[in-house]
Amino acid sequence: MSKIRIFSTPSCPYCVTLKEFLKKHGFEFEDLNVGTDARAREEMIAKSQQMGVPVVEIDGQIIIGFDKKKIVQLLNIKE
Amino acid sequence: METIYDLIIIGGGPAGMTAGIYTARQKLKTLLITKDFGGQMAKKAVSIENYPGFEEISGLELIQLFEKHLRSHEIDIEINAVKNVKKSGDVFLLMTADRKEFKSKAVIVASGADPRPLEVEGEKEFIGKGVSYCVSCDGPLFADKTVVVIGGGNAGFEAALSLSNYAKKVYILESGEKIRAEKSIQDQVKKIAKITVIIGSVIQKIQGKTFVESIIYQEKTSKKLVTLEVQGIFVEIGSQPATSFVKDLVDFNEKDEIVVDPKTSQTRTRGLFSAGDVDDVPYKQVVIACGEGAKAAISASIYLQKNDRAQH
Repeated sequence: MSKIRIFSTPSCPYCVTLKEFLKKHGFEFEDLNVGTDARAREEMIAKSQQMGVPVVEIDGQIIIGFDKKKIVQLLNIKE
Repeated sequence: METIYDLIIIGGGPAGMTAGIYTARQKLKTLLITKDFGGQMAKKAVSIENYPGFEEISGLELIQLFEKHLRSHEIDIEINAVKNVKKSGDVFLLMTADRKEFKSKAVIVASGADPRPLEVEGEKEFIGKGVSYCVSCDGPLFADKTVVVIGGGNAGFEAALSLSNYAKKVYILESGEKIRAEKSIQDQVKKIAKITVIIGSVIQKIQGKTFVESIIYQEKTSKKLVTLEVQGIFVEIGSQPATSFVKDLVDFNEKDEIVVDPKTSQTRTRGLFSAGDVDDVPYKQVVIACGEGAKAAISASIYLQKNDRAQH
């Protein structure tokens, strides 16, 4: 199974939608709150060159925002 | 056999979700298509204090309650963006961004509004690299940084209050000579030493290398250009209706809002209704969006009954 990490903040509606989408399709993920976890925040900014959430890491590949098309493709989700 | 829904609702904010609760309860076969839940409400930085029954609740919490309520009913939900709506005979054809097709007998457009962009040099290239339109999403990322909020209305002042919890310094840049925010919010801002309000000044340019490093603004009376070192820019200059996918079927007012019959919420196309921030009904409030969503749902239901009777 793919290793999924989500860098997000709890008050971000796109992040909530993204997590619900993955849960609905039975995926588990590591949930990193970059609002409170400074180390995760640094890691996210370094890896993604982004100051915005969500950022998703799937098996080392970085996806910026809730890019559903790319996530569906990488995780081979059938809708 | 191909599904033809009774109704498709476009948008998952207060208007769309209320419409969904109503039509699902009336046993109409309903599909709700939305990019995310919450619309403008979930992206607000401060709590909501004027929705009856809740003295104080965050936008995200209230929307999660709406969503739970919606999902307790029989309704299909598709997380997607609608690209185009067409009408052929009595049937509406909806196409999504990833080219999925859906059909229905009636449609409610409740797609809300998107933040209005600044349209200055550097804005697009620094989106996600310091430029943000969502304080509640990205605010916490700017811990111990200096940020500027563009816009001195209620939304701008509320954004600054929220950002002051994280940032070490917050500027508010307002182009007018007067602050438009309500007095009560202005008083709250005055109490916070790290918020500085700059009036009569217009942003000209956003600059940096990988991330935003500064902005240049012009003082309107002196014409002087000033460089302000900031790492974050939060844009709060209002919103614009999200309507491009439906432009051939509706009329717009001068604000690009969809014109509806205020009694029925119907647009100029029969069977196509609109509700919430996207239409020309004044006062953009959560409770009004909910009411308009309910009205559009009831009107759509009456339209469907009449149409069915006409066909049999």
